[in-house]
Amino acid sequence: MSRRITIDPVTRLEGHGKIEIFLDENGAVANVYFQIPELRGFEKFCEGRPVEELPRIVSRICGV
Amino acid sequence: MVKLKLAVYWAASCGGCDVAVLDVHEKILDIAAVADIVLWPVATDHKYSDVEKMAPGSIDVCLFNGAVRNSENEHMARMLREKSRVLVAFGSCAVSGGIPALANFKEREDILNRVYQETPSTVNPEGVKPVPESAVPEGTLHLPEFFGFVHSLDQVVEVDYYMPGCPPTAERIWEVVQAIVSGNLPPRGATVGALEKSLCDQCPREKHDKKIKRFYRTHEIIPDPDRCLLEQGLLCLGPVTRGGCGAQCISANMPCRGCYGPLPGVIEQGAKYISSIGAIIDARTQEEVEEILAGIVDPAGTFYRFGMATALLKGANR
Repeated sequence: MSRRITIDPVTRLEGHGKIEIFLDENGAVANVYFQIPELRGFEKFCEGRPVEELPRIVSRICGV
Repeated sequence: MVKLKLAVYWAASCGGCDVAVLDVHEKILDIAAVADIVLWPVATDHKYSDVEKMAPGSIDVCLFNGAVRNSENEHMARMLREKSRVLVAFGSCAVSGGIPALANFKEREDILNRVYQETPSTVNPEGVKPVPESAVPEGTLHLPEFFGFVHSLDQVVEVDYYMPGCPPTAERIWEVVQAIVSGNLPPRGATVGALEKSLCDQCPREKHDKKIKRFYRTHEIIPDPDRCLLEQGLLCLGPVTRGGCGAQCISANMPCRGCYGPLPGVIEQGAKYISSIGAIIDARTQEEVEEILAGIVDPAGTFYRFGMATALLKGANR
């Protein structure tokens, strides 16, 4: 019987992370998935903003 | 004395609010002396499953920062509302959407296409995009649903207090923490950690009659460091923004962008600013008005820099 271990959230870092670990019948790690359950879309919403304003916008990508 | 149970959570945020809490420096030890942290992803290792097990109302105070951008943010907002006696919308994103809510000028699909397909640094020939459920050989993986609109916290759950700022300053945070510990909080629904007067009231610059003949972009002039920035033709949101930030941008010779939010009694910070500008433009003809206003390159993104979740102007999606 395989088993699933979920680490949610990954802590003590900037941002959101989630890890799913799947174990096989012997308890060994069969597969691991690391997921980022977050998106804000700076790549899109910076479009159309004046370039001189960007230092005060993109500094909010990461404030840590 | 029974220690308070304190949670600090981030939804769609940058972590700057969390760091602002740490910016109280050694006073964090005073906070630890009176409060047990029960959730704080940036600093402690509590899991969502730990919060799920808590009884309703068992968290005394939750400082919730970040906007509500996806279904996980909404789920956490609902869960922390249920578990917390006092829920504080902490920082501009939770109060009014903040910088992430600039995405409300864009369509959901356009954002996903840009991020996962079109950016020059992206290689994604199969066009993979995040979906709520993905089948893998071992089972199903889940991701939150990316909403079409960025919400403030109070658009999702009832909020007890609002603490604006991007981020709130450490001095204001310490004042609010002291008020919480002493039980000396204002009536529910109040804005805390900000002043009742505008930033102009705090601004040390010399102010005279405002008569604007031309607006400048910040790179087009080197402003006089002692004179009102708005009088010099720089769009400064000081007149329509609460004080409390310590005038940090102003002190760096940069105009205010309004992160402390609208003044008491004002719903629409952006509309209020448009009204202010109308009063100070020095023009005699319609042509002159249009010429002066043409100097404002991104009015919506400037006047609603931190408030697109709560603005009456609803952007691309509503």
